[in-house]
Amino acid sequence: MGPEDLEKVLRLLPPGDMRREILVGLDTPDDAAVFMLDEETALVHTLDFFTPIVDDPYLFGQIAAANALSDIYAMGGTPLSAMNIACFPCSLGMEILARILEGGLAKVREAGAVLLGGHTVDDEEPKYGLAVTGRVHPERIMTSLGAEPGDILVLTKPLGTGILATALKGDFISEAEMAEAIEGMARLNSTASRAAVLAGAHACTDVTGFALVGHLLNMLPDQGLGCEIRMALLPVYEHVREMAALGMIPAGAHKNRDFLAARVEVPQGLDEVERDLLYDPQTSGGLLVALPPHGLEVFAQQLGEEGWTRIGRFFENASPLVRVVP
Amino acid sequence: MGELVDARGLACPAPVVRTRDALKSGAVEIEVLVDNPTARDNVCRFASSQGCKVDVAEEGDIFRIMLSGPGDQPDAGQDTAGAATDQRIVVVLSEDIMGRGSAELGKILVKAFLNTLAENDPPPWRMVLFNRGVLLSVEGEDTVEALRNLHGMGVEILVCGTCLDFFGCKDKVAVGTVSNMYDILTTMLAATNSVTI
Repeated sequence: MGPEDLEKVLRLLPPGDMRREILVGLDTPDDAAVFMLDEETALVHTLDFFTPIVDDPYLFGQIAAANALSDIYAMGGTPLSAMNIACFPCSLGMEILARILEGGLAKVREAGAVLLGGHTVDDEEPKYGLAVTGRVHPERIMTSLGAEPGDILVLTKPLGTGILATALKGDFISEAEMAEAIEGMARLNSTASRAAVLAGAHACTDVTGFALVGHLLNMLPDQGLGCEIRMALLPVYEHVREMAALGMIPAGAHKNRDFLAARVEVPQGLDEVERDLLYDPQTSGGLLVALPPHGLEVFAQQLGEEGWTRIGRFFENASPLVRVVP
Repeated sequence: MGELVDARGLACPAPVVRTRDALKSGAVEIEVLVDNPTARDNVCRFASSQGCKVDVAEEGDIFRIMLSGPGDQPDAGQDTAGAATDQRIVVVLSEDIMGRGSAELGKILVKAFLNTLAENDPPPWRMVLFNRGVLLSVEGEDTVEALRNLHGMGVEILVCGTCLDFFGCKDKVAVGTVSNMYDILTTMLAATNSVTI
């Protein structure tokens, strides 16, 4: 669902419960909810599932699971347990469903968590994902808010999965040609999350359906902060620009742009293809981390040279604004 | 002969796929009907990338996209997009100064060169910056504005990533796209005319 529709629905609901145990709940645009058990332990809850983004069922399972687990990592948590959510047309053959679940299980295990069960519904189009429970120390939760002027913005995976998935659907690209992006989408955000926690990140979120710009705007409070991103530094998967130039822009990118563009300043004459990268909805995207400048060294030590890019910085601004510079 | 592609009610990429199939089947005049802006933009972009002439008419909720395919016969003198691609001037900046001798003078000259280049018609197709040339695109340099003007005119500026790394200024690029040797090489090979300073 696009950000505009979601906001409309949420506005119709009564306000979330107020209890001291709810550390992160409905009232903030965060990746997961956090419920405190005691002074030392809080549970992180999240749920995510979607339709196949690639044809290979095992890879789809891996990607869907990595995507669901990512919400725990974005909060600085450690996954404990997971439950499968699957929708599947019986006519498609049970071996395929089994392969999807196998892919998911592999990622749950890689995350050090256990799979406890699940639920499957007969449906026309396959869908798969996980409900995940993780743990976090109540004082070490990372949320999307908390960045300060002067903080450095880093991104831990390249962009462009929405464009590539659209191209794959239209047979403009093969799964083999998008291997780099498939590997990226299936990669856990675990090491990036640990690096962010150790580096004393001020804020963190993961990039998914609302695109780079949408999730970045979620990191900006109602007043006082803006963020500048450098177009030239944005990491992009192979073949994305080429596919964007062929018109492989998903509808979600348009919805994102319509809803977000008023809060985004782009350089004059910005190429359409470049602009679309900002609004391209991502599947299992990287973490967006706001690092205090002195945390950059620790972050780099943890992750090495690969797998992250410094893409911008936060600055003081009256209203929330993403400024894109060449 | 004309062909109608009714892509109303279809989600992306289906409208583009139908348009591609129609072009592949040899149709030269194609009319594509779509009912949402995403499909309109995508079909237009795809058709342009294939060398078609594109016109869009909005009728209520429907977009009627008229495409004249590239066809097999050369369309002498009419195709302005073709004329632009006929001439691909690439300007190569391999130094952050212009000419040998005085470095101070070289700085002044390179700035004047870029300012003059922005006034030249037609502007170059692409610019390639490598070795010390990449320093011209780094924030704080007085050549950035001229490069931004050129970029604003549609000139693609490729800045060598390896070189930026070498000089330790990858996070200070103020203009252009950080690029690689493959893109730089294909750009230089595709040039109809290249100017190196």
